Amino acid sequence: MNTVEIKNLTKIFDDVPAVDNLSLNIKKGEITGLIGADGAGKTTLMRLITGLMIADSGEISTLGLNPAADKAKLNPKIGYMPQKFGLYEDLTVIENLNFYADLKNTAHDFKKMLEFTDLDKFQHRLAGKLSGGMKQKLGLACALLGTPDFLVLDEPSVGVDPISRRELMKLVKEYLNEGMSVLWSTAYLDEAHSFDTAVVLDRGKVIFEGRPFSLGATSKAFEAEIIKLMGGYKKEESLIAKSVTVQDYGLEFTVEACNLVKKYGDFYAVKDNTFCIKKGEIFGLLGPNGAGKSTSFKMMCGLSAPTQGTARIMGTDILAQPSKARSHLGYMAQKFSLYEKLTVGQNLEFFAGVYGLAGKAKEERINGSIQVFGLEEYVDRKSGELPLGYKQRLSLACALIHNPPVLFLDEPTSGVDVLTRMDFWNHITSLAAKGVTILITTHFMDEAEFCDRISLFYRGEAIAVGTPDELKRKAHADTMEETFVNLIRSQSK
Amino acid sequence: MQISNIKIIKALVKKEFYQIIRDPSSILIAFVIPLLLLVIYRFGINLDTVKVTMGIKNDDPAAEIQTLVKSFGHSEYIKSFVYEDKDLMYEDLVRSKLRGMVIIPNNFSVGLSRSQPADLLVITDGSETNLANYAQSYPQFIANQWLASSKYKYDLKPPLITPELRYWYNQDINSHYFIMPGSIAITTTLIGILLTALVIAREWERGTMEALLSTRVKRIHIVTGKYIPYFILGMLSMIFSLFVCIAVFKIPFNGSLAAVLAVGSLFLFTCIGVGLLISTNLKDQFLASQTALAVGFMPALMLSGLMFPINSMPLGFQWFTHIIPTRYFVQFILSEFLAGTVWEIVYVNSVFLLVFGGLLFMTVYKKTGLRLEDKC
Repeated sequence: MNTVEIKNLTKIFDDVPAVDNLSLNIKKGEITGLIGADGAGKTTLMRLITGLMIADSGEISTLGLNPAADKAKLNPKIGYMPQKFGLYEDLTVIENLNFYADLKNTAHDFKKMLEFTDLDKFQHRLAGKLSGGMKQKLGLACALLGTPDFLVLDEPSVGVDPISRRELMKLVKEYLNEGMSVLWSTAYLDEAHSFDTAVVLDRGKVIFEGRPFSLGATSKAFEAEIIKLMGGYKKEESLIAKSVTVQDYGLEFTVEACNLVKKYGDFYAVKDNTFCIKKGEIFGLLGPNGAGKSTSFKMMCGLSAPTQGTARIMGTDILAQPSKARSHLGYMAQKFSLYEKLTVGQNLEFFAGVYGLAGKAKEERINGSIQVFGLEEYVDRKSGELPLGYKQRLSLACALIHNPPVLFLDEPTSGVDVLTRMDFWNHITSLAAKGVTILITTHFMDEAEFCDRISLFYRGEAIAVGTPDELKRKAHADTMEETFVNLIRSQSK
Repeated sequence: MQISNIKIIKALVKKEFYQIIRDPSSILIAFVIPLLLLVIYRFGINLDTVKVTMGIKNDDPAAEIQTLVKSFGHSEYIKSFVYEDKDLMYEDLVRSKLRGMVIIPNNFSVGLSRSQPADLLVITDGSETNLANYAQSYPQFIANQWLASSKYKYDLKPPLITPELRYWYNQDINSHYFIMPGSIAITTTLIGILLTALVIAREWERGTMEALLSTRVKRIHIVTGKYIPYFILGMLSMIFSLFVCIAVFKIPFNGSLAAVLAVGSLFLFTCIGVGLLISTNLKDQFLASQTALAVGFMPALMLSGLMFPINSMPLGFQWFTHIIPTRYFVQFILSEFLAGTVWEIVYVNSVFLLVFGGLLFMTVYKKTGLRLEDKC
């Protein structure tokens, strides 16, 4: 018997089908990966399977029950982890576990689980104060309580570094006893390649279902096939890069970090970090969650005062002349900090105004951006309602509106599908070729390959700096992911 | 089955208490704000005696009239300034230095000694009506008192009617005696509505509702899991306020504490219903808190009859006050403090609150969804 059987399922929101006449079986005792871009219908499908939503038409059976009618009977058999993990941030780790154990009517015996998740030292810490990776582990631990027959995980690994992702997978496999089925949604194709079955969704339809190895022997080949299935990616000349003109300042190093230190009490978030980025270089900051990447980023753009040291953007000291230094800088914050209640046009206008553009120049620049970024259709839509890929584009458009020679990108591709990511990187590499200096953080190891140089961050320190090939050699590894894992592991020993 | 129901509710209540303890704003709303309000009402606000600044100009040279000017100076109700120059006094009124003026004309004593009516000119600044009333009535009162003790008293005819004035229930007409108990009603409204308006919205916003709904939790668990902790918190806050009023500020209490707590718990039950109803419907903390202030708190403050008497409101507003739960509790708690337990008032108000509270509970129960249907 299959764990889930779906026939001709449809769910429509505001005339747009989120799940479109979909049929699918999920096999018992397997880990099934649900792969797709943001907006492909992954979350809606999971909510329909667990009975949190009711379909407009079609049939669905989960563990032999109808989730619409028998939700109360079904719920105790399912362990579900929603996208925001469902943790109470103002409760401690142990209080969260106790709470969910009570709801699931199971014993308060968490010894093994706490040891396995390395959370035993943090039992009495508030869940809100945990790092991203630890929150995910705790969310998963809560979902696993009461040994459910069916584990449903909605993007458990979004925004998580490769090591934490491996640990999550290990945790699930450890608890995967006889007959338990797992449905795991993800945007990471390398992760999906390691599942028993992969189901690829695109615009509410299944475009592939089967063994990932049958599609591609390696995760690279698998990714290439998936891209083909999604309609293929055709590399075009980047209009965005074409519209950019970079002034020549006659500087060799456009971005410099000089002995940056950030101390919180006795704790060093960043320890004596120094690096210089050449004009037109793409410099990647990699590292596990909580390693100090974001803190470095904030200090570099003057959002957070360093305890010691300083940074220079286009030769201008960020501490001495913050406004002047920032005028050279385009910044795209984590999670695309746009004004969600404003329309696309209003967002562009606001950022243009903030960066000091006015009058005719401003109008031309805004219209140019709308055209180049392909936002014509969306000008009057509220930016909060845009698909994630378009939010990302708009966010980049806002960061580039004043034609800056330096671009800072903090996890610009989290949660975005593979096609959009490839398109995004096409623009980034083209921008760099035109002479824009780029500082970027990411959790996608395949993206790290696009960087000219990488600084690997761990516990507030740069443990390795170099080109991707240099780092691979140093770690005796073939892929960036292995490099990452090896270098971090050798450091923590 | 019964046992697991209790276990689930217990877990939910426990979780809610952890959240209350960790969130300083709930402690602030439940204990610090009530205390602050009581202190402000006790020491800051005084609706009774207002010392009015008045100018006096005496044009009558008679020696006896000097004593009238002096009695203005001795009055505890006004602060008087004696002027020689009339224009200067007018100017000071224009500049709001004075609230009113008294002018004693030069033939004042002549009239009195002939047992004829004498005129006294009282001018007040009408732009602040309330103060103008005081500025008008105090000089009259002082002048009459002075007359009764001056040498002219023998010319006075005894009045045919002397009304004996008594204020029942509040002999000293001390406004603290009704404002402070009334403030208990206001702070209870604040806890019941504002605090609870946030709590279901918070679960939706943080995504914890989705996790809850995927477990065996039922509608009744979610609803009672919210009612119980905030009910306990609200009752503790009410007891705290009562203690401060009665034991610390020595506000006379003539009723029964048991009756106050019984009707108080019905009132709290109603308020929590209003708050949770707002919260379930809006699913957004910011909107919920704004709505709670606008539909819950402001009407309670303005239209409950505490600040402004309901009888003097326009008829439409008078009807409207009937759907404001605070109105019933204000009426009840005032009678408890000032008059003692009047069973008729207890019954009538309890019935209204019970009906309201029950209806709200049922609506909240119905509105609490077990799915994410309305959200996409």
